Amino acid sequence: MAKVSVIIPVYNAEKYLAECLDSITRQTLKDIEIICISDGSTDQSSDILQKYQERDSRILLIQRENRGYGYTMNEGIARASGEYIGIVEADDYAALNMYEELYQKAKEYDLDFVKADFYRFKREQSGSMELAYNHLSPDPSDYNQVFNPGENPETLRYIMNTWSGIYKRSFLEKYHIQHNETPGASFQDNGFWFQTFIYGKRGMIVDRPYYRNRRDNPDSSVKSKEKVYCINAEYDYIRGILLKDPALWERFRHMYWFKKYHNYMGTLWRIDEKYREEYLMRFSEELKRGIALGDLVREPFSCNAWNNIRSITEDPGKYYLTRVYPAGMNQKVFEQMQALETENRKLKEEIASIRRSKTFRLGKILLFLPGKLKRMLRGRKR
Amino acid sequence: MMDRFKCMYASREEKMMDRPKVSVIVPVYNAQSHLRQCLDSITGQTLSEIEILCVDDGSTDSSAQILEEYKGRDPRLHVIRQENAGAGAARNRGLAEASGEYLSFLDADDFFEPDMLECAYERAVSGNAQIVVFRSDQYHTEEGVFRDMPWTLRSHALAPYRPMDCRTFTDNVFKVFVGWAWDKLFEREFVLKHGLRFQEQRTSNDLLFVFLAIVLAERIETEERVLAHQRRGAASSLSNTREKSWQCFYEALKALRENLIRLGRYQELEQDYINYALHFSLWNLDTLQGEKKKELRRMLKKHWFRELGIAGKKEDYFYNKKEYRQYREIVRGRLPWLYLSVAGGIVD
Repeated sequence: MAKVSVIIPVYNAEKYLAECLDSITRQTLKDIEIICISDGSTDQSSDILQKYQERDSRILLIQRENRGYGYTMNEGIARASGEYIGIVEADDYAALNMYEELYQKAKEYDLDFVKADFYRFKREQSGSMELAYNHLSPDPSDYNQVFNPGENPETLRYIMNTWSGIYKRSFLEKYHIQHNETPGASFQDNGFWFQTFIYGKRGMIVDRPYYRNRRDNPDSSVKSKEKVYCINAEYDYIRGILLKDPALWERFRHMYWFKKYHNYMGTLWRIDEKYREEYLMRFSEELKRGIALGDLVREPFSCNAWNNIRSITEDPGKYYLTRVYPAGMNQKVFEQMQALETENRKLKEEIASIRRSKTFRLGKILLFLPGKLKRMLRGRKR
Repeated sequence: MMDRFKCMYASREEKMMDRPKVSVIVPVYNAQSHLRQCLDSITGQTLSEIEILCVDDGSTDSSAQILEEYKGRDPRLHVIRQENAGAGAARNRGLAEASGEYLSFLDADDFFEPDMLECAYERAVSGNAQIVVFRSDQYHTEEGVFRDMPWTLRSHALAPYRPMDCRTFTDNVFKVFVGWAWDKLFEREFVLKHGLRFQEQRTSNDLLFVFLAIVLAERIETEERVLAHQRRGAASSLSNTREKSWQCFYEALKALRENLIRLGRYQELEQDYINYALHFSLWNLDTLQGEKKKELRRMLKKHWFRELGIAGKKEDYFYNKKEYRQYREIVRGRLPWLYLSVAGGIVD
């Protein structure tokens, strides 16, 4: 049995694939299995994969029609035979000592999973590289010790990603931890990540960065505009899993909403401007429902976030105009709107005061008969 | 041997081809005055691959003759007779005989848009849905006017994405649609898989069936066009004579609760259920005529509010504060509070 099975789901990644494969085939941990699945790629990805497979017998290559990221990951995990499982996106790469050191930690502490800090990177045209260190947790004391995520919902605050760590295969199998098999790339890593935390008994985070996550790929799903409600559907999937066991739902529902709120906020800004108003309206309805059921509560949120939630639920239309509507326009439009509203209110009051006045009432009484006569005459003419 | 195999194969294929897209199930009980209009609007549907199962629930008027006449004219129409056992039993009977991909349960005094089934079926197929709910309105027979029923499909509470199940609703799961069956299409395989059946009682016999289906469905689709017209003010309508079966709604609510518990879904849906139970109890009380009204009020106060789980819940728990106040009024009696509010008014 290989020590680690590294799964690489590939969809049209010809530009980055070689760098990725080089970083995995040259890992210092030699006893690994590399499962590459080309999920219906239409570019040169398949040729590149084949070339690497010819050179490295540890590579298992699967090529087939497109079935989506979730299905592809599930297939990879099902085909894996290693003791632990790692995930690498085809446009990212890993430090050469990543799996050796993570595997060592995992064995030493008998972990269900171990995750490490990581870098996000952008590569400029000039070739220079911008690296940003990402801490899974802002609190240094969270690191390098075994924790029980299933009993500490607070650990869901750690940055969500599935690729900066490794997972014990028998652990994934025991709890049937799978990705949601929705089409394309639809944030299916969220559901997988959630499950590793709610079912895990022994987890660890490590304060050393191994994984390099690309942030300059325009094809990357984070920047796609059309699939507006993918994240909502993914959170429905997660809720379905939690609700299978009422005790799990009870324990995690507040943190579920915490993660969901922040993900939805991110989506609001990621989707195309023309979808934002509609998205915000649905967001507001979901928040209100969460509050009514007691699932969404104040406690996990920062002051800013909670104020924001209150603004969105109390008046989503106003929130849209003042906070979301295309920048530059918003403040001006809002001020105009308010001025018109004030004027409107004044005029309405004036009408009401006229109607209340004695002169108006007297006039109405005096004109009643002549008016009636006029209407009768008009009726006769017709 | 080969022949037999071929024969089997052929018959299976034939069956598949013959399988109706929709089975329309119509319980008929003394519905002579509007039955023709109803049957005309079913047999004239633009979706032609349907079967029409009319269950004559022991009618004593000319309904039986009318059914025979239509049966002679349209081979897709079948008449099933049973001794009077109520619409619930009649629908179960139809359900047992049905072979269509989807089921439609219509009432003998209502009428429908000519493309109702086509439109709803298309929705169902395109979304691989287990339930389709479409919009409907009321037809007031005496005045001859149509009125909207916006509450039968609360669009604002629906998810703008798919798949849509009841957990994606942003309002009370039991109030997004109405607990009657005729404005919906149900996938037959789904109904059979969960063993859904109508309650065999005089009124409120479809509530359990509909709400369990909504709770269990993984894929629900809706259609915003008005496709069916519910006749109001018809003499044969059972809802006009609800004093004969004023306890039925309570039986329906009780059965719904028991089934939600059995399915392990009660905890999750308790707040929606209790809010709906209060809403439906009050609606029944408000619309009940005659002497039974007092008795219902007494039963709610003495037993049913407690048994339905409404009693003991705090004001915060209720989505609709007006309904909550009405509940308090029933439980505490009106008078002392009236005095208090009058006194409060004087102080003001």
